[in-house]
Amino acid sequence: MNCHLIPGASPLRYPARILRDILKSPLERRLQKKPRREQGKLAHVVRVGRQALAFTAGLLAIVAAYWLVMNFVENPEISSLPYYTFRTLLRITITLGISVAWGVPFGILASTNKTASVILVPSIDLLQSIPILGYFPVIVLFFISLFHGGEFGIELSAILLLFTSMAWAIFFGVVGAVKGIPVNIIEAAQSFGVTGFKYVRHVILPAIVPALISGSTLAWCDGWFFMIAAEYVVYLGTTYSVPGLGSYLAKAAYVYNDLNLSVVILVLIAAIVFYLNSLTWHRLMERAATGTYKPVARIGLSGLGKLGVIRPRWLHLGDRIHRPKSLILASKWVKRYTRLEKAVALAISLTAAFLIIYYIAGQIPSEVGFHEAFADPEFLNLPVYTVLTLGRLTVAYVISLGIALGMGVLAAEHKKFAAVFYPIYDIGQAVPILALFPIFFVYLSRIFGGRFGLEITAIVVLVLDMIWYMFLNVVGAVKSIPSEIKEVGRLLGFKGLKRITHIVIPAILPAIVTGSILSWGTGWNTIIFAEYMPYEMELFGGQPLSLPGLGSYLDKTGYLPPPKGNTVRLLFLLGEIAVIVLAMEGLVWRKLLRRFEKYRVEV
Amino acid sequence: MIESKHVTKTFELEKSKIPVLKDVNFSANEDEFVCLVGPSGCGKSTLLRIIAGLEHADSGEVLFHGQPQTSPTPKITMIFQLFGLLPWKTALENVEVALEILDIKKEARVEIARSHLRMVGLEGFENAYPHDLSGGMKQRVGIARALALQPEVLLMDEPFSSLDELTAKTLRSLVLDIRGKSSLATNTFIMVSHNVEEAVFMADRVIVMSPRPGQIVGDVKVNIPRPRLRYLRDPVHFKYVDEVVEILEKSK
Repeated sequence: MNCHLIPGASPLRYPARILRDILKSPLERRLQKKPRREQGKLAHVVRVGRQALAFTAGLLAIVAAYWLVMNFVENPEISSLPYYTFRTLLRITITLGISVAWGVPFGILASTNKTASVILVPSIDLLQSIPILGYFPVIVLFFISLFHGGEFGIELSAILLLFTSMAWAIFFGVVGAVKGIPVNIIEAAQSFGVTGFKYVRHVILPAIVPALISGSTLAWCDGWFFMIAAEYVVYLGTTYSVPGLGSYLAKAAYVYNDLNLSVVILVLIAAIVFYLNSLTWHRLMERAATGTYKPVARIGLSGLGKLGVIRPRWLHLGDRIHRPKSLILASKWVKRYTRLEKAVALAISLTAAFLIIYYIAGQIPSEVGFHEAFADPEFLNLPVYTVLTLGRLTVAYVISLGIALGMGVLAAEHKKFAAVFYPIYDIGQAVPILALFPIFFVYLSRIFGGRFGLEITAIVVLVLDMIWYMFLNVVGAVKSIPSEIKEVGRLLGFKGLKRITHIVIPAILPAIVTGSILSWGTGWNTIIFAEYMPYEMELFGGQPLSLPGLGSYLDKTGYLPPPKGNTVRLLFLLGEIAVIVLAMEGLVWRKLLRRFEKYRVEV
Repeated sequence: MIESKHVTKTFELEKSKIPVLKDVNFSANEDEFVCLVGPSGCGKSTLLRIIAGLEHADSGEVLFHGQPQTSPTPKITMIFQLFGLLPWKTALENVEVALEILDIKKEARVEIARSHLRMVGLEGFENAYPHDLSGGMKQRVGIARALALQPEVLLMDEPFSSLDELTAKTLRSLVLDIRGKSSLATNTFIMVSHNVEEAVFMADRVIVMSPRPGQIVGDVKVNIPRPRLRYLRDPVHFKYVDEVVEILEKSK
């Protein structure tokens, strides 16, 4: 599940524990705080002690797991496992630092300066909708030619590739947070003469802290998700890799054909992500939730999913507190771009795309003319491929919508189900889905055979990827149905199915649309990897196994040596995907959102 | 008609207990307009929800016609502070869907819904969504919906406190006017408010509650002739207001 399509607004990656806290009713939270404050010193010591114990136990477990793996798994590179882990951790941390260093100033600029906003926000929105694969040609070519294939060049390109999946969450989180600063606070600052640097220091920075933390959480998860793609790049038949867990996992699958090893690495990755998340982000998020002006924390609405449906629970106090008008205005304002902004963005991106194509076409002597790019006989199948890929996405979408609706409503309304589903979600989000792919495939192909097995694997992986966006949006929306509406339902005697159709479903329709946008966004990214299986080259008659579709065609165009691989065609295919994504957004989702906007309960 | 007997309620949340209502006894008789006033958080809304059957008392009970009242019934309906309209249904549908509980045919439901919207002055707005209505109009739909069920008891949970004062004034009069109609099946009105003037203006009896845990500390019978609009600036009105305020101050 890649989360770079959602900005800080959506707490998809929020750990279940915090999720529970966010979704809790305001009364509960208010009441809960008191006993905490009244806790004695002893209780505090006990709590700290417990945390330290959990910290040590987790660390010991991971060390033990490493020791076991290194002693009992046979592989020529197994002794480098700790080193690989260190390198990957370092890489993701550095990239996170770069992303923050880039995202904060640019985010503040884009949200305070109109001209900058007109240019930056739409272009970055476009950039973030390009799958990481789309950056390969530009970044890899540039750095490798700059450093003549040296390791430093590959490392830099890996970091930059990671950056293209991590930076957006922070940028949009900052933009959303700054735009979400309540008007009364801005006015207060102005009337007290707080301007310029002072304004940034005292108003903007405190406002973006929560968004920065939630954005960093998202970026951090994105980093783990995409590190496999970034550390092990096969571009036009040549492999570029840097030492790390991701490249080791890829090598285990592609070079050593050792499925057990890849499962082991996968489990180790999941354990590390889980451990580090609960150690750092969980705590930071908790702190972020209590500091600064809360209204700002999760209002940020931008990116493809411009409607953050999961709004802080306390804004839905039902019949007690009113949602500040300024917040509604701010969120409405952030929600849509003007036509002008869109036109400017389109012009800029078209120019940029043209320049990139022109630059790259000039770089590669073997690919002189554009006609060569489209001479590939498979190119004629493009319409069929497009339909097939859309079909796969639709099937996976419908399945995940069905499951997520059921799970989400149950989890939101029954504590028992929540106790089961939240941990599943927590683990599900720590597993990099891309790495699951070969494992699922091997098992499913034994049951269903190669081609059909791959088809099912693709759907399963897509469902696993798409489902959590829906799930979280459904849970959040069901939880935030105002108590008055629920009471009305009970007074009118709506029970069972009638309650679901009259109250629950209409109330969460906007959230379903938002979840759909996010699901489709991540689905597009995943299907590019899910339709193509370069790894089974030997197991299945020496042929790379692939499903006919846009994704696999894109892969072949990107991965294989010329004439199959072709940079110009790669960019063309990416352009096609971008057009489809934007068209669906404009023709389907936006219209639905506008229609369901009325369904939002105004509190 | 409605009797609250020793009603006690405690909210329990993860180890901490918050007593909300403590041994609340009062009754609202037929043809009576009773208003519960008290500081915010005193449990008056909770009490109203227990009467509606939306919440349950920990001990004690609410009697309706002498029978324990434990679950929602169309004979007792409610008007909400934030209107409680379903945003995905038009004004007409909001009233009509409420009538489904009564097992009436669709055409008849629509007819009843129309006539009640007319009664609250919303003719011509049948097909508007709540989104497009002003706060006052939304509450008019809320009133129409509650009365369309022809309940015996009408509960009102701070029905005017989210409206501006001018609108609230109009709607208070509207409710009193409707109450004066002989054709109305509803005979008992129970309103929750923290606005003492509103309570004295509308109610036959003002029941005063103490801060949490809510207890009844006063029961003031308001002897002002109706229609009361002409007594709004009359000393007798302020006499009752002062009396209620004094009880509230004392119970702090």
